[in-house]
Amino acid sequence: MNVVVAIKKVVDTSEAADVVEVDAAGKDISKAGLVSRLNDWDGYALEEGLRWREKLGGTATALTVGPRDWDDVLRTALAMGADAAVRVDEDAASMDCRSVARILATAIGKLPHDLVLFGAQSEDFGSAQLGPMVAQMLGLPHATLVVGLDVNDDRVHVSREIEGGARELYTLTLPALLTIQTGLNRPRYVSFSRIKRAREKEIGVTTLHELGLSSADLVPSVTLERLELTPAGRRAMLISGNPEEAAGALATLLKESGVI
Amino acid sequence: MSLADYRYRDLIHRCFRCGYCKFPTSYLDVNNCPAYARYRLESYSTGGRLWLIRAWLNDEMEWTDHLAEIVFSCATCKNCTEQCPLPFSQDIVNMIVAARCEMVERGLMPAAVQQFLENVQRHGNPYGAPRSKRAEWFQGTDVEQYDGQEYLYYVGCVGSYDTRARETARTLAHVLKRGGVSFGVLGDRESCDGNDVAKLGEEGLFESLAEENIEQFKELGVTKVVTLSPHAYNAMRNDYPSLNGTFEVFHYTQLLNELIKKGTLDLSRGFDARVTYHDPCFLGRWNGEYEAPRAALRAVPGIELVEMERSRADTLCCGGGGGNFYTDFLGGSEDSPARIRIRQARDSGAQVVAVACPNCMTMLEDAAKAERLDESLSIRDVSEIVASALE
Repeated sequence: MNVVVAIKKVVDTSEAADVVEVDAAGKDISKAGLVSRLNDWDGYALEEGLRWREKLGGTATALTVGPRDWDDVLRTALAMGADAAVRVDEDAASMDCRSVARILATAIGKLPHDLVLFGAQSEDFGSAQLGPMVAQMLGLPHATLVVGLDVNDDRVHVSREIEGGARELYTLTLPALLTIQTGLNRPRYVSFSRIKRAREKEIGVTTLHELGLSSADLVPSVTLERLELTPAGRRAMLISGNPEEAAGALATLLKESGVI
Repeated sequence: MSLADYRYRDLIHRCFRCGYCKFPTSYLDVNNCPAYARYRLESYSTGGRLWLIRAWLNDEMEWTDHLAEIVFSCATCKNCTEQCPLPFSQDIVNMIVAARCEMVERGLMPAAVQQFLENVQRHGNPYGAPRSKRAEWFQGTDVEQYDGQEYLYYVGCVGSYDTRARETARTLAHVLKRGGVSFGVLGDRESCDGNDVAKLGEEGLFESLAEENIEQFKELGVTKVVTLSPHAYNAMRNDYPSLNGTFEVFHYTQLLNELIKKGTLDLSRGFDARVTYHDPCFLGRWNGEYEAPRAALRAVPGIELVEMERSRADTLCCGGGGGNFYTDFLGGSEDSPARIRIRQARDSGAQVVAVACPNCMTMLEDAAKAERLDESLSIRDVSEIVASALE
């Protein structure tokens, strides 16, 4: 079974919420002092893809659209066990989802693919549109927010997470595209020595031209006007006193506000 | 991987589980191995662990989350090394670390260990905090960036990020200044020393961290390093030389003791209290330094230094070693080693527990709260006690 996993590099802001600022152009955050890494959701998609490749044979290819310094997330994928890595050499930061989807769909179309996996969304812009758009462009059946899957011959049985913890179960015929929710597996640890070994592996680099695309195919239909930070809340409250007094005050507060 | 490829294949079978590894020297009790004290199961003692590792490597048992938790619950405190009567005693902790290396290489480890290592890989600290915050601890002080001063003051991850340990880091800087020591810090250019990364079995990451630190130290012309943490002291003193990084490395208590002996620090204000000193494993058992911190404390007028029943090579570890201050496999119980240790400190009659390690500080302070002893027993770093005594 041939698996393609589309991945993305994002800035890690998980422990840095208090230092995030919008940059001068107003369309991105200031990245100085922050590190970038593989999008969290994509780690789960990669892990799932690799597990099925390990079980059923075939190939697993990691794919991204990005500049050269995105090679490190592809090397992470190779270190995890991907057989091949392909980067479309294009800075997609200012593109809209449909343009990126167009590039990915074209690239995936040239790769052997029975199962195409995306992270359910990205940590930075979080639109969650890319997977469904690519599925539409390639004419593939798709399911989003997948929390469990089982590949059986030419079908994949999936479990989708919906509101209130409920699940929907579907069967899709392969080839199919799934967007993967966090938590359905535990992405493997990639040791430093594996990353080092992955540095020697080759990354396939392709261009829009080689994919047969031109700027006319990538006219944006959605443009980002500006980013704004959420104003800091002013309702933090410190409860003092010994543990008994503090617990009592907290209980009163929660009751008054209708939480308990 | 099988037992045949394991680094200690010729040794590991020689442990016949005599059980001495979990005792103190007096053999009066059976809980001086922190993980055994916490769980009271043979599998959590060093001997039990070695047998499980051998069974796993021999394919006699499957890897499970529970096996990994047992293997990673060792605090690498070296009590077992002290007590093991057999000729391979110096290697028994290494045998556990080597098994962790195998698990890490295969990606088979508890989630908390994975999180620790991924955070260090990405951010240079186990908390996953941004590098820019590494310099916050000395904002608003007169501490200088390292620029050719006599000493590099290496603060480490806990001293740089943990709120309580930051206070200690600042206090030590103040004491060093008062002692006329010429020193500078790396601020946000500092990275993890890697001691606990190595003890968690991530050899490749440890080497990468050590090599980057060594390269930076050399570029800056560093010859002497004084560390806040015994963990950094251990890595830099014992492991960096084999990676071509030989510096004169001091734990800060050694430097303070020298300053006091020379009379550079005027301690005449004194510190009136009954104090007991808790030996950090990476200063005591790992590096044999039991005396310098005690000598520094004895030099403070007003201190009555009392020993806990178990001290020096017999110390019960706080449970924070080998990454456990973060992974917390030994917490959550009144049998957690830090809580047992706090009760031992109470029984010594001390009013103050002196520590010389930021990990011990955070572990024991939390334990004192859990034991509701935080009002009668305060946890103070040796540098903080010295600072209080400065005239």
